[in-house]
Amino acid sequence: MPFWRRESATPFLLLTPAMLTMAFVVIVPLIFSMYTSFTGYRLVKPDSLYDWVGFRNYARILSDWDFWVPFGRTVLFLTIVLNLEFLLGLGIALLINRITWGQRTLRTIMMFPMMFSPILVGFQFKFLFNDNIGIVNNALQSLGLSDGAIAWLVDAKLAFFSIAIAEIWMSTSVFAILLLAGLFAMPRDPLEAAKVDGCNPWQTFRHITLPFLMPFAYIAMAIRSLDVARAYDIVTVMTDGGPAGRTELLWTLIARVGYDNSRMGMANAMAYVSTILSILFTWYFYRKLVAARRYMGGAQ
Amino acid sequence: MRKITALMLGTALVAVTGMASADETWGDYPGYTLRVKLIGGAQYEKLYAEIPKWEAATGAKVEIVSRKNHFELDKEIKQDIAANTIDYCVASNHTSFAPQYGDIYIDLNTAIKPEVLAEFDPLALKNATVNGKLVQLPRHSDISNLFYKKSLYADQANKDAFKAKYGYDLAPPETFDQFKDQAIFFAKAPDFYGTQFVGKDEAITGRFYEMLVANGGALFDENWNPTFNSAAGVKSLMWFKELYDAKAVPAGSLNYLWDDTGMGFASGTVAMDLDWAGWAAFFNDPKNSKVAGDIGLVRAPKGDGGKRSGWSGSHSFSITTTCDNQAAAVSLLTFLTDHDNQMIEARQGLLPTRTQVWKDITAEFEAAGNPFMVEVFNTYSQSMAEDAFTPPLIEPWIEVSNVIWPNLQKGILGEMDPQAALDDAAEKAKVIMEDAGYIK
Repeated sequence: MPFWRRESATPFLLLTPAMLTMAFVVIVPLIFSMYTSFTGYRLVKPDSLYDWVGFRNYARILSDWDFWVPFGRTVLFLTIVLNLEFLLGLGIALLINRITWGQRTLRTIMMFPMMFSPILVGFQFKFLFNDNIGIVNNALQSLGLSDGAIAWLVDAKLAFFSIAIAEIWMSTSVFAILLLAGLFAMPRDPLEAAKVDGCNPWQTFRHITLPFLMPFAYIAMAIRSLDVARAYDIVTVMTDGGPAGRTELLWTLIARVGYDNSRMGMANAMAYVSTILSILFTWYFYRKLVAARRYMGGAQ
Repeated sequence: MRKITALMLGTALVAVTGMASADETWGDYPGYTLRVKLIGGAQYEKLYAEIPKWEAATGAKVEIVSRKNHFELDKEIKQDIAANTIDYCVASNHTSFAPQYGDIYIDLNTAIKPEVLAEFDPLALKNATVNGKLVQLPRHSDISNLFYKKSLYADQANKDAFKAKYGYDLAPPETFDQFKDQAIFFAKAPDFYGTQFVGKDEAITGRFYEMLVANGGALFDENWNPTFNSAAGVKSLMWFKELYDAKAVPAGSLNYLWDDTGMGFASGTVAMDLDWAGWAAFFNDPKNSKVAGDIGLVRAPKGDGGKRSGWSGSHSFSITTTCDNQAAAVSLLTFLTDHDNQMIEARQGLLPTRTQVWKDITAEFEAAGNPFMVEVFNTYSQSMAEDAFTPPLIEPWIEVSNVIWPNLQKGILGEMDPQAALDDAAEKAKVIMEDAGYIK
């Protein structure tokens, strides 16, 4: 009896379409892009796909300060954005959880920023922070809080802050929704027991609510860390990584090298090095998730 | 009386141009669908509204498979080359971008009738040529001249104060040094600025490049070694830096592109604006602009080398080598750049590439009693003839530009000494030119 007609082959046969789809959609492009990172492939010169350069692209990246500065800035951006989104998302979730009337409407309104295209969000905040005709400067001047034009998108710290604000505005609701789901799923017994034992609201929150929510928070962080590490649209529209590279993040750099400069081999090498960042963050949050669930006595 | 004369002249012009169109035959391609990728944006769209006329005349359909700004279109075309999916016939192009695309476009010298090409400005055709091949048919050109707010220069108090401070009479600037003096003089940040500049991407590289040439410098020597870190280069970079430090330009200038500078001048908060003619009609339209009726225009200033800045280029159309109906594509290209359609674009202030259109559009504005637009076309005609030069028409131009502009920003912001910033950019540009095979 041929292998494929045996009963033991059935699982493999059933999995074959899924495996083939995975191979074509994920594995083949990954192998191809990995291969190109070892070539001098230039988009406008298809023949350069066969120019094998070994580890030259990687060697150049390792010694290239223009790559490592945006790498470090992306780590900082991730850290600040994720923490602020968590804090704001937690606050919003706790407030909405207290509401007894109109909660569904508020939950829907909360999702609005996520419905905008990131490019639109970028333009919206570029206009808000425009130094000459932007609403923020006009408001500050009208209120007498500033007598000059603050260069929100030029000053190194303010420009970084501005793109972080745009990113946070768009995606805080991811945290809020997941944490709200956690609050809905939370059993009432421990809270009531805490009340009986005389815990004040802060103690109840610190020792019962927050530990229960942390697995949800780490799931949101893992998802958002992958998103933020690939931040591109908003930054491109608002500052395009500038001025003087002050807001350059990994993906604005990689897109410029790959598309504007046509150096797709080098861009792919940069992208592979940058995936280290995503892997590290995902690994870290997964470990924290497991630890949080263990703390709560949940499944490993 | 003047109105009647204008009406008669206008009618005569319409009759003449109408006859020219009637004589033209665009061919017969019933049932054929011509796939095209076009540059999009408000100033480009009016021409596309004429495409149904070509469809009606030829029986063909035009399918616009992509319509994006040129930077996005550039990325898309590069992906098409990489994926070998050039399944369209006509694409928008630009003289600065064309050298990157290798041999994906046909040589129009052999595809378009010589008598048609003879009607185009020879310099525009020369600049559209890459490695001896006419890979694009120029649609309209651009070059910058200096718009200014006239009332500021007529004000006696301004005249007296300026003379007392700088020792020479206040008049629209003839040199970049005067331009800088006047910009600083007029600025009262944050309410009013002397001027503004585009501060990122190829836009600021281009501005730096034209000032470098005006100051007697060059981007490369004859062996393609970068030379923009010369004394002329430092002087050019210092011009931007001094204006920025003096708050004579908006603090956000380093993040500005063309729309920002155009809208800034139209908002009435800027004294001078070095810009292309495409804004002219907009600036003088009271519905859009607070400076309408108060605009003066002079040619771009001169640098230390006695030359005016004149960074120029043309938007254009190309035909792909993979096109399955080149005759139809040639027909559409010729239609889109014919006399009547160039007149439509010229009415907005876009600079034509056909020599006859320059004369006819000026006559039309004269007949319509619009001296401002007559002045615009006369000034830009002179600068196109005498001042225009393109960036180096080489494949790595955009890549070289991408190492220059971040360092220009660093020099302007004081993160690097201007000389060090240019030296660093020159070193990086040299590596690019070596990799591209220009430096052996």
